[in-house]
Amino acid sequence: MSLIEGLRLALESLWVNKMRSSLTILGVVIGIAAVITVVAVGQGGQAVLMAELQKIGTNVFAIYVNWQEGEPLGEHDFTFQDIAVIKELVPEITYLAPTYYIPSVVRGPKDKKPAQVIGTEADYAQVTNVKVVRGRFLSQGAGTTRAVAVLDQTLAGEIFGRLDPVGKRVTINNRPAQVIGLTKEESGFLGIQTSKRIYVPLSFAQDISGQRVIQQMEGMAANQENIGAAMAKAIKVLERRHNTKDRYKAISLEEQMKIAGKITGIITLIIGAVAGISLLVGGIGVMNIMLVSVTERTREIGIRLALGARRKDILKQFLIEAVVLCLAGGLLGVVIGAGGSVLVARLAKWPPLISFGTVLIAFAFSVAIGIFFGLYPAGRAAKMNPIEALRQE
Amino acid sequence: MITVKQLTKVYQSGKISFPALKEVSVAIEKGEFVAVMGPSGSGKSTFLNILGCLDRPTSGSYFLENSEVSLLNEDELARVRNQKIGFVFQTFNLLPRLNILRNIELPMIYAGTPAKERRQRTQEVLNQVGLLEWAGHRPPEISGGERQRVAIARALVNQPNVILADEPTGNLDSHASTEVMTIFKKLHRQGTTIVLVTHEQEIAAYARRILFFRDGQLIKEEITPVSPEVNNQ
Repeated sequence: MSLIEGLRLALESLWVNKMRSSLTILGVVIGIAAVITVVAVGQGGQAVLMAELQKIGTNVFAIYVNWQEGEPLGEHDFTFQDIAVIKELVPEITYLAPTYYIPSVVRGPKDKKPAQVIGTEADYAQVTNVKVVRGRFLSQGAGTTRAVAVLDQTLAGEIFGRLDPVGKRVTINNRPAQVIGLTKEESGFLGIQTSKRIYVPLSFAQDISGQRVIQQMEGMAANQENIGAAMAKAIKVLERRHNTKDRYKAISLEEQMKIAGKITGIITLIIGAVAGISLLVGGIGVMNIMLVSVTERTREIGIRLALGARRKDILKQFLIEAVVLCLAGGLLGVVIGAGGSVLVARLAKWPPLISFGTVLIAFAFSVAIGIFFGLYPAGRAAKMNPIEALRQE
Repeated sequence: MITVKQLTKVYQSGKISFPALKEVSVAIEKGEFVAVMGPSGSGKSTFLNILGCLDRPTSGSYFLENSEVSLLNEDELARVRNQKIGFVFQTFNLLPRLNILRNIELPMIYAGTPAKERRQRTQEVLNQVGLLEWAGHRPPEISGGERQRVAIARALVNQPNVILADEPTGNLDSHASTEVMTIFKKLHRQGTTIVLVTHEQEIAAYARRILFFRDGQLIKEEITPVSPEVNNQ
């Protein structure tokens, strides 16, 4: 019996039981669709992560104190001089800004809002690609304790209403400051709206919090090639100035993103595995129905054997039926999965990524499931004794 | 064509063994029309099943066209069933979901016959049993007699050496029975070897030779006088 004839026989049998066939493949459909969606969304997320990295720049880095718990703050903290010296001694570093992040409540004439206060100086605008839309950004020379603030445009709108905020007063954690500029609202990393931002001179931020601390330095290397050298040299300068070792760490944004990428990859894998389990359940469903089908069609098997079907012809027929079922389920699953990932991607605002490889693997998996779960029922069919099978009502 | 010697079949059910056939020896020549008669449990169906390679004898030998069938493996037996034997059952045993064309094609599908030749031969055998116009219908849409004629067409389609019919008129009314037997008679005239199991005297009367079975043994043989039906043809 040729494969085409086998396929035709299988399709005939499946078509006869349309309802049952479609219910049987449902498990496989859901399984494949789930796996495809998870993988596509995961891969899309990763692609966005990488695209975002390209946008922000691959030459941005941060230096921080590797502070041990319980250790008093003190001699190893960054100083303003550190920054000046690093900029002086490390030509690979184009911009370097101290930062101090404080959660705060900012109050304007109209409303108050929680916001992230970032104590820093002029270079920060270059490092993080902040765009000033009105007024100006902070000046260089972080030592100033002048009570000025640069507000995110959206935040300004919320607390000032229609008033022009520039030149007006806000209070940050009840300390007054004068608004000197507005920045363009950022869409935020991965499109997620991060907390509203206010930029203030670093010393003013220290005044607000009451602690003379520089949390970290954020800088930008001249280009991607020498970011490693830039970070290494900066650390060396710091270690020499503070006469210590292994106290400072530098990490590039790219490294951070890679870690994030790895984590999303693992999450994708885990969810994918869970979805894979549903595929397994679908396969068991196929086996179950195939067993029922074999029992029901005992007489048919007897007739076929009497007409000259060999055992392998019977085996082939039922195996092809199982594979066709699973493959149909796979096909439908890929279509639904593709639709699902487009939908999820739309909601999450990132591009769905359905690679040819994923689809191919899904199909290969469907066939494998069909063969694996079809083999036992088909084997039972093929083992039947023609006389006994013919006697079956 | 068919030679069986000391054919014995014992059914084993736990500790009880039941001899269904006891040392049956018989030879059937090419072109013969043989009826097998006997009460139920006489072993006539077991005999036919062994002749049809659906069942294997416990002991004894069975030569079909000079080849010892009991030595064949499963695949070879399937091939014998496919090529050398045409089965006609009491309950027709057509596949109800397939149309008549597809039903008749089945033995050829297992033989690997190309589609074009299948079509042509299906037409031929359908024509032979006079059901060409029903080709697209399914078995449940036609009468019992017609179904049995389709089954005969299916049995003929691979041009077997012998047609084995197990109570082919058992489920038919007398009119349909006559129709079906007329076809057998015609086939016999054309030289087809036929072995037919029945318990009805008038059906057996179509055959030229009758084998009587009782308690698993071949107890007597009769050559029938040329029946009036045959004379009339």
